[in-house]
Amino acid sequence: MRAWYHARTVGQKQAVWAWIFLALPLFFFIAIRLFPTGYTTYVSLTDWNLLRPKNFIGAANYLRLWNDPIFWQVFWNTFKYLLIGMPISLVLSFLVAYYLDQVRFLQGTIRALYFIPFLTTAAAMAWVWRWFYQPVPIGIFNLILVDLGFSQQPFLRSTSQALGSILAPAIWAGLGFQVVIFLAGLRAIPETYYEAARIDGVGRWTILKEITLPLLRPTILFLVVVSSIGFLRIFDKVYNMTVDGKGGPLNTTRPLVLNIYQLAFTDYRMGYAAAQTMVLFLVLLAVTVVQLRALRTK
Amino acid sequence: MASVSLSGIVKRFDRTVVVHGIDLDIADGEFVVLVGPSGCGKSTTLRMIAGLEDLTAGQIRIGERVVDRLEPKDRNIAMVFQNYAIYPHMTVRKNIAFGLRMAKLPKPEEDRRVREAAEILGLVDLLERRPSQLSGGQRQRVAIGRAMVRNPAVFLFDEPLSNLDAQLRAQMRLEIKKLHQTLGTTVVYVTHDQVEAMTLADRIVVMRDGRIEQVGAPTELYRRPASMFVARFIGSPSMNMIPGVIAEGVGAVGLDGVGTVSGLGELENASAGRRVFLGVRPDDLRVATEAGGGPLSLEARVGVIEPLGPETLVYAEVGGRELVAKADGRISLRRGDVVRLVADVDELHVFDAETEVVLRR
Repeated sequence: MRAWYHARTVGQKQAVWAWIFLALPLFFFIAIRLFPTGYTTYVSLTDWNLLRPKNFIGAANYLRLWNDPIFWQVFWNTFKYLLIGMPISLVLSFLVAYYLDQVRFLQGTIRALYFIPFLTTAAAMAWVWRWFYQPVPIGIFNLILVDLGFSQQPFLRSTSQALGSILAPAIWAGLGFQVVIFLAGLRAIPETYYEAARIDGVGRWTILKEITLPLLRPTILFLVVVSSIGFLRIFDKVYNMTVDGKGGPLNTTRPLVLNIYQLAFTDYRMGYAAAQTMVLFLVLLAVTVVQLRALRTK
Repeated sequence: MASVSLSGIVKRFDRTVVVHGIDLDIADGEFVVLVGPSGCGKSTTLRMIAGLEDLTAGQIRIGERVVDRLEPKDRNIAMVFQNYAIYPHMTVRKNIAFGLRMAKLPKPEEDRRVREAAEILGLVDLLERRPSQLSGGQRQRVAIGRAMVRNPAVFLFDEPLSNLDAQLRAQMRLEIKKLHQTLGTTVVYVTHDQVEAMTLADRIVVMRDGRIEQVGAPTELYRRPASMFVARFIGSPSMNMIPGVIAEGVGAVGLDGVGTVSGLGELENASAGRRVFLGVRPDDLRVATEAGGGPLSLEARVGVIEPLGPETLVYAEVGGRELVAKADGRISLRRGDVVRLVADVDELHVFDAETEVVLRR
């Protein structure tokens, strides 16, 4: 062994060491990511319910899914979280970062204040917000509304307002992270770009549109992908803010992940849950690939 | 085109005064170089002319106008930055035309100006490229092009060649000088490189700690430095400084442990016993192999020899002190040889050791 090692070239020795160090993460990647993915694919083609042995039933789970109105509702809910949540959170965090970047006074403190929600336990935060949404005299939002002379709102108990009410804390919690990333992106743009523009007499709006945003492209790309994946996988807020964690009322807030969870661990329909998991996986893959393509720099 | 006039300009950042009241008049069409070590306030001065920094006190005029309260865009200036400040996501054409678009020129006029600048700078074939596809020198040319198309009254250069390698720097230096001769626009140019200052300037302004040390034509600064600082800063290798003391009698200086130099003529407010430095440039210090007289004639032991081709730098020890002399490139010397270092009286400078001011003009 020793002799074999000493006979290798420097390049080969480096490769040996690289593989030794890569072995552990590679093992975890295969055992915890790759294998379950393959196993899920297999389970999705069976009628497994934990008790009886797995019977191969072909694409039956996928056919059922295609004809299941709840699946389609849940599928659409998931995209609502993405299509509303992602743009709003990006615009908000950019605005905060853009103005915060120009503030010198207490900048660190303000940045920390935005970041704290990101560090807070999601479940605890969801429950506090659930509290905020309660009717008078408990919920602070309704108290404010009534004080201002408006009527009380049902929030989480309304089929039309519940999804938005859950999105609000979700956006709020992720804002700090996005602000910090945007700030880093803004800092990376050399000051002389702005000075050159000032000498040329370029207006603020043009500077933003023609210099800042194009140069922030990699930052924006990163945040769009990360935040899209985050919203597509939303679970904890919905689970903690709806009655019995069911994504109600009437499934109007139930996202795909929660549906999979309910199918698998309340109803024990493992095969069907696995089939929906595969759909989620393909959606995440597609969204990521499309966004990487669309925003790739030429 | 315009003259630039600074009167009593001061810049303070919080408690630190960076520029202490500078007065300077730059004539129309003149090429003035501000030079000095880092932190001497040269860049800050330039940025105040540009309007990127506010003045703490004083006044700046460009042409007949007082501009201290004007935005940079209203000062009729253009600036070239050290890191070029050209936008990586725009083509060369867009970069050059970017400032013009804000001026709302008609499109044909815009195209004509971009074309003209590109021709002068040799960028015609590169107009559709992006900065990442250009070399450092080409990028700097784009930055200059962007400044040119605006037809400014004054060009401001902030260490434009510092990011280039030595060969390219020499080449761009020449191009900038040619450009100035073609356009005839007033230029204020900041650098820490004395070679750049010497080669480019009509007039050099040597700065130190926020004050002007000396203003003058390159040869004047080289031949008649007003202080030890300027004497050391201009010229390479630096001027040799030999400590000494003013001796009795007219124009004589006793050098510490090496002997006496006489025939220096009248020294300004010099009283016998005053500590001084005798300065002599390596170029003026000749290596003589035989013993000979002269106002300055020192016996020296050769240490390190640096052949440069046409000439050779000889580092020699004189009375425990190392002096540098420039000798002919064909001289054959070896470490340990004993030689004489000789200089004419016209090439000797005498500085007050305390005030560092020149005593002999």
